[in-house]
Amino acid sequence: MSLSIRRASLTFLLLSTRLLLADVLPTPPSAASTPAIPVPSIHRSLARITTTSQDPNYREPWAAGQISGGVGTGFIIDSERILTNAHVVSNARFLTVEKEDDPRRYTAKVQFIGHDCDLAVLKVNEPGFFKDTVPLQLGGIPEIESTVAAYGYPVGGERLSVTEGIVSRIDFQTYTHSLVDAHLAIQISAAINPGNSGGPVLQHGKVVGVAFQGYSGDVAQNVGYMIPVPVIDRFLKDISDGHYDKYMDLSIATFPLQNPAMRRALGLADDDRGVMVSKVAAEGCSDGILKDGDVLMAIDGHGIASDGFTVLDGARVQMAEVVERKFKGDDVKLHIIRDRQEMDVTVKLDAAWPYLMQANTYDAAPRYVLYGGLLFQPLSRNFLEAYEIDDLRVRYFYDFFLEDELYKDHPEVIVLSAILPDPANTYLSDFKDGIVDEINGEKVKTLDDLANGFRKEADQYVIKLLGVGRPLVLDRAAAEAARERIDQRYNVVKEQNLRD
Amino acid sequence: MKKVTQRTCLAAACAALLCGPGRLAAAPEEAVPAKMVPVVRVNATNQAWDFFHPWAKHAPYSHRGLGAVIANGEVLVTAELVANSNYLELERAETGEKVPATVVVVDYEADLALLKPQDDKFLKGITPLILTDASVGDHIAIWQLESTGALLATDALLTTVQVARYPEEDVALLDYNLTTSLQYRDGSFTVPIVKGGKLAGLLLRYDTRTQDADAIPAPVIEHFLHDAAEKTYGGFPKAGLLFASARDPQLRRYANIPAMVPGGVYVTHVERESAAEEAGIKEGDILLELAGRSVDQDGNYTDPRHGKLSLINLISLQTAGSKVPVKLLRNGKALDVDITLRHKAVESYVIPPYVIDKAPSYYVLGGLVLQELSRQYLKEWGGDWQKKAPERMVYYDHYQSDLFHGERKRLVILSQVLPTTDTIGYEDLGSLVVTKINDVPLTSFADVPRALEHPVNGFHKIEFEENPNVIYLDAQQVSDHLEDLKKTYGLPDISRTE
Repeated sequence: MSLSIRRASLTFLLLSTRLLLADVLPTPPSAASTPAIPVPSIHRSLARITTTSQDPNYREPWAAGQISGGVGTGFIIDSERILTNAHVVSNARFLTVEKEDDPRRYTAKVQFIGHDCDLAVLKVNEPGFFKDTVPLQLGGIPEIESTVAAYGYPVGGERLSVTEGIVSRIDFQTYTHSLVDAHLAIQISAAINPGNSGGPVLQHGKVVGVAFQGYSGDVAQNVGYMIPVPVIDRFLKDISDGHYDKYMDLSIATFPLQNPAMRRALGLADDDRGVMVSKVAAEGCSDGILKDGDVLMAIDGHGIASDGFTVLDGARVQMAEVVERKFKGDDVKLHIIRDRQEMDVTVKLDAAWPYLMQANTYDAAPRYVLYGGLLFQPLSRNFLEAYEIDDLRVRYFYDFFLEDELYKDHPEVIVLSAILPDPANTYLSDFKDGIVDEINGEKVKTLDDLANGFRKEADQYVIKLLGVGRPLVLDRAAAEAARERIDQRYNVVKEQNLRD
Repeated sequence: MKKVTQRTCLAAACAALLCGPGRLAAAPEEAVPAKMVPVVRVNATNQAWDFFHPWAKHAPYSHRGLGAVIANGEVLVTAELVANSNYLELERAETGEKVPATVVVVDYEADLALLKPQDDKFLKGITPLILTDASVGDHIAIWQLESTGALLATDALLTTVQVARYPEEDVALLDYNLTTSLQYRDGSFTVPIVKGGKLAGLLLRYDTRTQDADAIPAPVIEHFLHDAAEKTYGGFPKAGLLFASARDPQLRRYANIPAMVPGGVYVTHVERESAAEEAGIKEGDILLELAGRSVDQDGNYTDPRHGKLSLINLISLQTAGSKVPVKLLRNGKALDVDITLRHKAVESYVIPPYVIDKAPSYYVLGGLVLQELSRQYLKEWGGDWQKKAPERMVYYDHYQSDLFHGERKRLVILSQVLPTTDTIGYEDLGSLVVTKINDVPLTSFADVPRALEHPVNGFHKIEFEENPNVIYLDAQQVSDHLEDLKKTYGLPDISRTE
């Protein structure tokens, strides 16, 4: 599902308060009417989560990063666990949870986190927390137009808030937390606001979703999204073996076959069935099994319509939903037409989407190499958001990394992102924002390659940057002599980090 | 998807002339009796092609400028004033008498054009301006006309003479930098600047906020006029190489530049099929001397009049076709070569930097709009086109000399899809590079109609460089629906090819 998503504009807003503290509006006093679907014991199932997080600093990757705080919601599920959104507890350094009517603040830790589905499971360090609590049960997919109620701790006050609305739409949506994932999501008309994140949305006493994202008021009104039960279910099943394997992905792009001439040219019947494979990502699950131009007719026996939809449990959904419900190691059976021959192929789901360069990443330390005052970092979304580089080549490598298969030569795109001025590099400022291609004649495909290059003894390090005719030349003796001076002057506590 | 935009940045820069009155700073250098004023008004009606709808033109618009009357009864203006002009008219300042005019020579790179009135006697009584170069520190008069036809002269100080970017992105030529406080007058699109009664340049742009002005200087005008007098216009030559500073001692050691060699600049790129390539210059060479002038570590030479100037000026002010000696260092060894400099014609680019005075080629196939990729097309996205136009196309344009060579003379693109019964399901496609039609590889736009003559099994097969790789149209239906398509979308013709 991820192939077509590029640098989408961030009109979405995640509903953890830490993103939006400036936007706090006074909430009008509650009308105190009885909720249509009363859940008398709900206060015994909710947790108010206070997160202290530290986001890595990509501009100074050796520094620990800014400390910030935020509030979100979670709810108690079976086995003394709390379910919440991944974005509520991402990059967390310290977590406390509180219950309604209990003054005590309990410390908690993240047990499992799925950044691709924006869900996390917390464990509370003190067992007393779960005394007198009631775990919530998961329901199903609510009907369109049916009423639901969202519970949580949104901005506007300290205590539990309830809002009510109806189910407006059930569709695939981009999950803003990672920005490259799209899964099933349910749009509801209940007001959900920053702080609601991770809170349960209930119908008939059961959880039908986890509130997680919405639009800011200047884009759209009363549009909130919740993560529906199939996604929650999948996450809980995935972690049941003690490890989160992530969503699996066919890692292909498809083109709809709605044009009658195109159908006839491909020898297809006029039956509105089938989509064409237009891209197979190298190193994805389908690499070597599917080919460009294959027509996908059925997936696990479910016929695929010409617009890429299929019918599951009586509902029309994107064909990707079949894969969405599967786990690592599962098979996907595809009925395809290749060169006018019908055939069956099986794709083993042994890998998630292979290229996460364009995804937001969390809970990972930035990777970098600093040498002679030159800072080299792999291109990524987090990196680009920190630097806002305008250089056309860097932008192209980011935006067309997948489509133009730039990953083949540059699985990591190593950018000379900054130069800490020093006599050792005084004439090198023109090279900033260049993409490293070679060091002393050896290709640089990853950050490790570059680090290894600098480890080798040489009189000079000669670095070739892509499309730059003049090499960057660094005298090793001068760079080594500059080491301590640069570290001290710029407060560099660590010269490289090669691991996440 | 596409936005209707303003004109390109060039016009925007010139438009700055038309707003914000400035204050008269100092007494003009000198006054000229009104009846002798060697300038005429130029009224131009221009109409550019609409590259988003290549079968149509944008709305016509008119603007006025001043032309400098020079020898041979000709009038010098900036090329922007006459770009895509439908009709040109000269108007005498003192009498208001008008006469149609034609463009004799135009160079959009140097931004200069030469006009001639249809009636030879029209400029009678005017003593033509002759050229003079100026130096930093000189006071120069900027000439405008009052509505009465009287001369308005504003003092300007020449602050810098340097090589600077001209309105066409790829062009860098000598430029006068002036400080002045110019007042608004109607018809300020082209404005002459004058020193001691002689023409020192034409104003290129003026920023009302900073009061900075740029002018096309006399040496560039002189080169233009010299070439214009030849049988064929030669233009400003290029060497086809890029260079970067060789100041870094670490780089000099790497490149084996002997310590006693003081200057030299690092050749970073040699364009394919360029003068530099033919001369045998290679990437990594150190260029020490060109046309007898030594080049310093940053690529400057010392001009007798203007002091340090970029090597680019040394090249561009040569006559196209002239052979000049170059001294190089390769791996520490001296090497002498001769380079025959030549102008690079706009037609020789894979993605032409501009398409002016020329209708764009297109082919509307069943609703698929096929066009030639040019920077002019990308500029339809407006002043910020480098950010707003499709990124892949901007990338291709910017790095075209690296990316394209050999067979491919032009890129054919699917720019947009007009929804029709034939293009159902293709509506969202756009900005795709077309590689083949009916299995025929496309090397130029002329291949398109030829390739369409032979459908494959009754289908037009269109292949792209990108996702979705291939689509098909029913050849018979496309031809049956042709008149319908023309009528529905008001297309005067289904195609235009050269």
